[in-house]
Amino acid sequence: MTTNAGTANATRAITYAWLVLTAITIVSWWLAPGHSGGVAVPNVAITVAVVVLGFIKGRLIIRYFMEVRAAPRWLKLATDAWLAVLGVSILAVYLF
Amino acid sequence: MPGDVHMWVMVLGDLAIFGAYFIIYMIYRTMAPQEFLAAQQHLNVTVGVVNTVVLLTSSWFIARSVLAARAGDPERAVRLTYLGGAFGVAFIGIKGYEWSHAIAGGYTMPSSDFFMFYYMLTGVHVFHVALGLLILGIVVRELRNPRKRRTSMVESGATYWHMVDLLWIVIFGLLYVMR
Amino acid sequence: MTDTVEVASPPTTPKAGKRDVWIVFFIAPAFYTAFGVIFFALTRTMPPPRPDITTAQMVDFFVNHETTIQIGFGLLILIIGGAGIANGIVMYHMKRMSTGSVLAYSYMGGMAVGALPGCLLVAICFLTATFRPGRDPELMAFLYDLGLLSYVGSLGCFSVAYFAFAIAILYDRNEIFPKWLAYISVWQIVTEILAVPVFVSKAGPFAWNGSIAFWMGTVIFGIWLSCVIVFLKKATELEPVDSPPLD
Repeated sequence: MTTNAGTANATRAITYAWLVLTAITIVSWWLAPGHSGGVAVPNVAITVAVVVLGFIKGRLIIRYFMEVRAAPRWLKLATDAWLAVLGVSILAVYLF
Repeated sequence: MPGDVHMWVMVLGDLAIFGAYFIIYMIYRTMAPQEFLAAQQHLNVTVGVVNTVVLLTSSWFIARSVLAARAGDPERAVRLTYLGGAFGVAFIGIKGYEWSHAIAGGYTMPSSDFFMFYYMLTGVHVFHVALGLLILGIVVRELRNPRKRRTSMVESGATYWHMVDLLWIVIFGLLYVMR
Repeated sequence: MTDTVEVASPPTTPKAGKRDVWIVFFIAPAFYTAFGVIFFALTRTMPPPRPDITTAQMVDFFVNHETTIQIGFGLLILIIGGAGIANGIVMYHMKRMSTGSVLAYSYMGGMAVGALPGCLLVAICFLTATFRPGRDPELMAFLYDLGLLSYVGSLGCFSVAYFAFAIAILYDRNEIFPKWLAYISVWQIVTEILAVPVFVSKAGPFAWNGSIAFWMGTVIFGIWLSCVIVFLKKATELEPVDSPPLD
């Protein structure tokens, strides 16, 4: 059973994570091609930014919401590996 | 470890499978980038952003419900699970609205490769959300029963739910935002 | 005088299981091996030939593979009972679960109904196409489409069966199968859903020969089937020989 202080700290961490995640999501609105008035142009910088932001968001969800911060090392490595392989593959396919 | 190892097998495997789908999507996108980009413009990004925040908020509630269960407060855990589930239902509703809007606009599965991927990826994701709601329902039922309550069950259900959130983050980035 | 201390070996679970269950069990991997030979090597349906070819090319497919199709699918029609038996042995162990018989019957119902479109229809279509080589090419193309669409596109029945299987395992207190086998079954359902577009897509990843609709589904199915056979064997071994027969 966790103490009230323990729960309060953990809640704070989760809420901060939510705030950062939501902020990044709202920023994405400007990056998206769907809302630009004219014809959207491909943009490498934006796409790289989107992949990096996605990586950050993914890691926040995994570490804070899924509590992998407190998990055994193999799980930390496995989830980081998934994020890394996916991010690198997406960029590699996009760029080449 | 948060939740039981079986759920982590499910999560890691599902992430691997979806990872393969995402890479295949990127390969097809890179073969026809102009067509995909043109089609992407027909998505409603605002709805996408709203839905992303809705799902993130549902995850926030579920994460807090785990804390409540650990603190020995099952009633609060149940309330938070209901709130998380409600936002999950909202996600599905918004997704349905988005789909019907797209179909009404003539953007159906066969209309382009991009839209085929769009409906399939968001569709299989919505299946996962629905499954997640079923799992949350089971979590609530167990929390209500003093003899059945187990923190590991609440944690496992939460782990699954966060995976659904995580998958959406990637789908959102790939379909709605990147160019 | 030194005494050598005998280290007692840890007690092993005696490989038990009932003999009649063992006999039925071995039919499952035997059937699926034959199934693999038939579908991969003989009839050329795995991987399936492409949907985006001309009528003349479809006719050529049947002409070129006429003999092996007839041998392969003819054999399949004979041994198709093996699928029923394989499902039966799964059901037998499902009935030993604390979740009871209902889910076992759902599994059986789903798999049995799925067998017609999912397996037999392509056999009959291809056998009909190769039966009279001089047939109208449009009819041959029709049989080609009908066979392959039903083979790759039959999804719902199997999904129901996998769902019943998953729920039964997750709620089972007798631990007949490991819990993660339930989750692999859920992945099966996911790949079935991803095959829905085969009815619309003629090329690309969602066509009946596509990387997503076909290949990923086949790989996951292979993994699932291997795990199920391994755990059927374990469940059969661990069943106490003197346990009462199921009703």
